[in-house]
This record gives sequence, structure tokens and C-alpha cells, in this order.
Amino acid sequence: MLLISGTVPIKDLPLTRGAAKLEGEFLNIDGSRIPCTQGTAALISAALITAEYLKIDPPQALVVGDIGDGKKSRSLYEYLIKNISNLSPDVLALHYILPDIALMKKICEAVEGCPKKPIMIADASSMYVAKAAGLAAKFDIFTPDATEIAFLADPDATHPAYINKHLFETDVTRTPELLTTAYQLKGAARLLLVKGSIDYVVRDGNILETITEPNVPELEAIGGTGDTITGLVAAFADAELELHEAAIIAARANRMAGKYAQATPATRIRQIIAQFPAVFKKHLCEWSGACSVPSHS
Amino acid sequence: MMFKRKKKSSFEGSGLILFDKVEEAIGAEKILKGENYPVKLVAPPPTLRKGCDLAVEINLVEQMGIERLFEKKDILYLEILPLKGDGELLEIVKITDFKDAFMVKAGNMKLTFDKNTGVILNASGGGCPDIPYLHVRMVGKKLFEAPRPKEIGFTLCALMMDRALMECRELWKEGGN
Repeated sequence: MLLISGTVPIKDLPLTRGAAKLEGEFLNIDGSRIPCTQGTAALISAALITAEYLKIDPPQALVVGDIGDGKKSRSLYEYLIKNISNLSPDVLALHYILPDIALMKKICEAVEGCPKKPIMIADASSMYVAKAAGLAAKFDIFTPDATEIAFLADPDATHPAYINKHLFETDVTRTPELLTTAYQLKGAARLLLVKGSIDYVVRDGNILETITEPNVPELEAIGGTGDTITGLVAAFADAELELHEAAIIAARANRMAGKYAQATPATRIRQIIAQFPAVFKKHLCEWSGACSVPSHS
Repeated sequence: MMFKRKKKSSFEGSGLILFDKVEEAIGAEKILKGENYPVKLVAPPPTLRKGCDLAVEINLVEQMGIERLFEKKDILYLEILPLKGDGELLEIVKITDFKDAFMVKAGNMKLTFDKNTGVILNASGGGCPDIPYLHVRMVGKKLFEAPRPKEIGFTLCALMMDRALMECRELWKEGGN
């Protein structure tokens, strides 16, 4: 089971858990309708569409409304700390949650109590706090962008707004150097999928693959394209692809969906997500080497 | 006989608010706790010390919301600093030209607007919980009609988004609008 946890921009939404369903442009989680916009909703939507295509169970979503003041984020941390060992997901994806070093440490401790350690994925602020707390190595996958890899390579920064300006100014061609530094400083998860004009899939400091095609520069401007990549990785990991394969296919699929959508800087993330079934139908067999989708009861 | 230990705060902050006077630090801590910010009073490390010997440790990501609260409540303080690093917020912005749109990147945030209409087309990057909320509030609005992240956001991501918005507004004005 894939469990995705994060906040959504609906101030009064209480802590809500359930199997995600798509209803037009909305997600339905335990009866609550959540617009498919940038952030955790985009991540869940991408994972859900992938799971539907692969005929595996839909992701379980654990969400709460938080517009940034962090009050509800803390209830989400507390729920996970208390319940994660019983939920015992196969894959746990942590996303937009107000960073709290002490509470993230407690989540990682609680995960140790799971009967089987889940595959741990962090993106967005969950990645920030995992790095700031010195817990990066506890995670299996981080999905940073070019600025965030500079953050992971900065020994002092606890948020990308405070990274050393020389690292921020680093040209993208120097990303491999930043990757090496991030691993040396223990600021990286076991596997990194670095999103950018060149996508890098890196395991334990070694670059396994770079992805550059199709080249759709407009994707960088579209809010949620990083979230969808994380959702794709999480769903493919839940389908038991090797993690590096999950990352490589996710990067390719996201780019191809941008091409199919004829992305412009004004494209909305739901238009990209809508392309995934067509992308999978055309390319997944070739990319994964698995050309039949199992039928589950 | 039972000895009751005072429960130690498990809060681990990443930033520090420095004050001129001890009573200002104590007053600020009380205000912040009243607003449910996790904080604690600490002695600032010698390398960061300015003003008095008492500081308030905060979750640095909440810096912007705290600054706005202090302004609203007339709380005096000297500075907010990260506990580690050189203490300087990123000031650099980068601009990408998409022919009909400019994308402005400030720190980890990117804001894109239409060159012809001044409408915000998209916001991307970042990872704090106010970013999806700001996305909903800002995208589709004209640059000078969109709310400032500094006024409705809470986090360092929102502060970077505010910088991007200010740069977008400058670019729009430079274009003769």
C-alpha cells in the first residue's frame, strides 16, 4: 500500500484519510472534494492515475487543510507518529508539511516500529526537514530540483532560502559536483531524482541515468510538475519496480506528458496529469520492459 | 518521596530572534506561544550574540509569519538569523524569457507572467504548506492585483515568492506598462 501524506490549501479541512478517487478535476478522499492543483493534490492525482493504469490498489491519502500557519501540519505529524506502525505502508511519501525537526525525528523513529520498513520518499518541505534534521540517509528517495540540490549540498542551510549564494549561482552543468557534495555531507537520500533541464537519477552518489528528452522547458514554469514526478515515482515503487527504474520512467513520463499536452507557461497541472494514460499506453512497455499489465481481483 | 521533573521541551528550532533587552525577549516568547508558534527561550551562541543574553529559538521556516506578527503587535527585536550558516537570505533572482512570458526565479520559487497582459500564468517550486494556497490566490490575477505573499503567506517559501512577485512587477513596469 502507498500512503501519501501532506497538506492541502483548504483551511478548514480536518485530518482526512482514505483511498483517493478522481472525480473530474477533483480528488475525493473520504468524501472530501479537493481540487487537483499544485502541491500534494497533484502528487496524489499522478500516483492515482498511475495506479489505475497499472491495476494496483489506489494510494491511501492522509491530508489536512493548512494554508501555511502550520497548526494542522502538526496534527498530521502526530497522527503518523501514533499510527504508522499499524498502517505499515509499503511506500510512504511525505510531502507539503510544515517543517518540524523534532516531529520528523519522531516519525522516523515510529517507522522503525513498522513490521516491514516502508520505502520512504520525501519531496518539498518534508525533504527540507529530513535534510535539516540529519535524517536524509533514512530516506530511500528524494526528488529535488536544481535549487534544492544546492540546498542538499549546503552543510548549513535548513531551508533553500538560506543556501549559500555561490551554490545558488552554480550553473546546472555543475549539478554532478553538487550531487557528490550532497552525498559526502549526508544530505541526500539513497536515491535522488534531480529534476531540471537535465534530470539525474543518482544512487549512493553514482549517476545512473540522465534524461533530457523530450525537452519541454515550459514544464519548469508549471506549478505541480515536480509534484507529479514524485507521485509517479511513488506509484511505480508501489508496483514493485526497482527504485532507480521507477525514477527513470517517472522522469521520462513527466516530460512526455508535457509534450503531449503541448505545454506552455500557462498550462495547468491537471492538463499534464490527464496525459499520463496516453503516455503509458504508448511508452511504458518500451521503457519498463514489462509489456502486460496484471489483472488484479 | 517523588521528584517531579519539569518536562523538557522537545522543540528543535533552526532560527534565532535576537533582542536588545531581556524583557523584550520574554514578552516576545509569550506572544509567540499565545499564537501557537513552537518556540523556546535560549542563550544565543557567542558567534550570533547581539544585544541581550536571551534570545527566542524559532522554527526558521516560520520567519515571515513571525515578522508580520511582530509588526502588528509592535514587538521590538534586533534580527532573525539561522542558527547555522552565514545568515543571509538569498537576494539573487534569475529570469527566463519564454517569448510571451517571463519566469522569475527567487530562491526556490518561480513566478511566471504574460508579457502582454501582466497576468500571472503560473507559480512553481517551493515546498511549504502556504505555497499551494498562494498558487490558488495568485494565478490568473494581474501582477498588481494579486495579493502579496508577504501579506498572506507565513513561510520562507512565501518570502521568496514575494521577492519573485516584486521582480515581476519591476519587469512589467520596465516594459512600459
